[in-house]
Amino acid sequence: MISKRIKCFFVILTAVVLSCSYSLAFAQETTTEVDTQWFHTGKVWIFVSVVLFSVAVIYSIYHARGGGDIFIRRIAGLEAVDEAIGRSTEMGRPILYVLGLGTVGDVATIASMNILGQVARKTADYETPLRVPCNDPIVLNVVREMVKAAYLDEGRPDAYNENDIFFVTESQFAYAAAVDGMMVREKPAAVFLQGTFYAESLILAETGNSVGAIQIAGSDSDSQLPFFITACDYTLIGEELYAASAYLSREPMLLGSLKGQDYGKLLLFTGIVLGVILELVGITWVSTFFQKVK
Amino acid sequence: MRRQVPLILCFLFGIVMMLVEFSPHPVSEGLRAEVIKWSLIIGPFALVIGVVTLVHTHWIRIKRRVEHWQYSYLVFIGMIVMVAFGLPMAPKNGGNELPKWLEWFKWFKGPENEVFVWFFDNVQVPMEATMFSLLAFFIASASYRAFRARTLEATLLLAAALIVMIGNAPIGDYLWNELSPVGENIPSTARQWILDNPNLSSRRGIILGVSLGVISQSIRIIFGIERSYLGGGD
Repeated sequence: MISKRIKCFFVILTAVVLSCSYSLAFAQETTTEVDTQWFHTGKVWIFVSVVLFSVAVIYSIYHARGGGDIFIRRIAGLEAVDEAIGRSTEMGRPILYVLGLGTVGDVATIASMNILGQVARKTADYETPLRVPCNDPIVLNVVREMVKAAYLDEGRPDAYNENDIFFVTESQFAYAAAVDGMMVREKPAAVFLQGTFYAESLILAETGNSVGAIQIAGSDSDSQLPFFITACDYTLIGEELYAASAYLSREPMLLGSLKGQDYGKLLLFTGIVLGVILELVGITWVSTFFQKVK
Repeated sequence: MRRQVPLILCFLFGIVMMLVEFSPHPVSEGLRAEVIKWSLIIGPFALVIGVVTLVHTHWIRIKRRVEHWQYSYLVFIGMIVMVAFGLPMAPKNGGNELPKWLEWFKWFKGPENEVFVWFFDNVQVPMEATMFSLLAFFIASASYRAFRARTLEATLLLAAALIVMIGNAPIGDYLWNELSPVGENIPSTARQWILDNPNLSSRRGIILGVSLGVISQSIRIIFGIERSYLGGGD
């Protein structure tokens, strides 16, 4: 079985390599008058920042491998995950997990799936029904595999129900209508709204509020955050969504990456404060420099 | 092996696509275009799986007579009607007449089919517009809860919201200019100040945090440190 998979993989890889080389050759033949630079010199500072920040994160991860305590501030929204699952279990009602409208290529959706993995481990333990309506068919398949694996890891494959994770539609408001309908009919005790959301965010959050569910939201869409803060019990704001996986699993290497992220923030904060002070005393090269970086 | 192969692919594609972002060379552009093509090809296959699960879910609901199972018939009716009128298209034959066995295709026009367009314009669009319109009522109920001045933060929020609302409405400036002896267009100026200073700076703070979070999360995924999205097992 495994050798078949390996063969299949190599066939796909060969196809990919051939397809790529054809594409590259075609690109070289047809684009004689376009830019032939290998490196975009206008993006040099962005590249340097990305490399510096990546090095800080990788260094912190490497250091965290040795163990040791890493402090991570309390995030109320993530502390409430257990409370929400416990409440659903006690009330005998399902948990509704909404991943938003993002595709599998969106980092927020991946972060949301990581949280779902941790939630699924707990629902497997407590035998609480976990309902996941999906907006994207690729997300659906990944989520099914993840939740199934979480139930297997917890030794409860019998509790996994594939039909609880299902595709609804790719249409934004039809999806919102379907999820709202589920909330009103099934009255879940806990609703998780994690991922990328647009105008449907408040429609979902207010309906969840009206059925009395405990709601934990999280999004990196800054324009939707005020709606979640207003209508939900807990909200993961921006980067907290990305930190959730490390926070819930407490894996040292994941926590280490958060420390690296903090180094990046410290660097930015220092730059901002220094820039403001220099501007105030009439030295303008900092703002001139940032205006040139695109 | 089930996890190693995706992890290797993830690492290779992650690094290459990051480097491609910094290179304007035709080879990089070609590579980027090729990868986009692949993702476009994967999409329809996944959609088929999505539709199959949708049909399966609703079929099970009808079979088991779960609560509100009758609505599942509506899903099937809607799907069959729209697919029947929208999907089949007359194949192009370079202006020549179609072979006899393909002539029946002439009855269908794909997404240009009048029945398909009628259903789209008169059923789907109004229903989506209705859902969107609900937002106005939800904003009102959410605002009512948020603006109850029970704490200092809520009072500040209420004050800021009132200034922005009055500044947004033309009558705000009109009344100020008519009734107040001090300054001109103060409500709209105050509104703009709130949007440009406290509002924009806090939004930028969130955006900076999100950007660093995205890079950090991407590094964890590219280097295989974050792998829970792959499911369990080795």
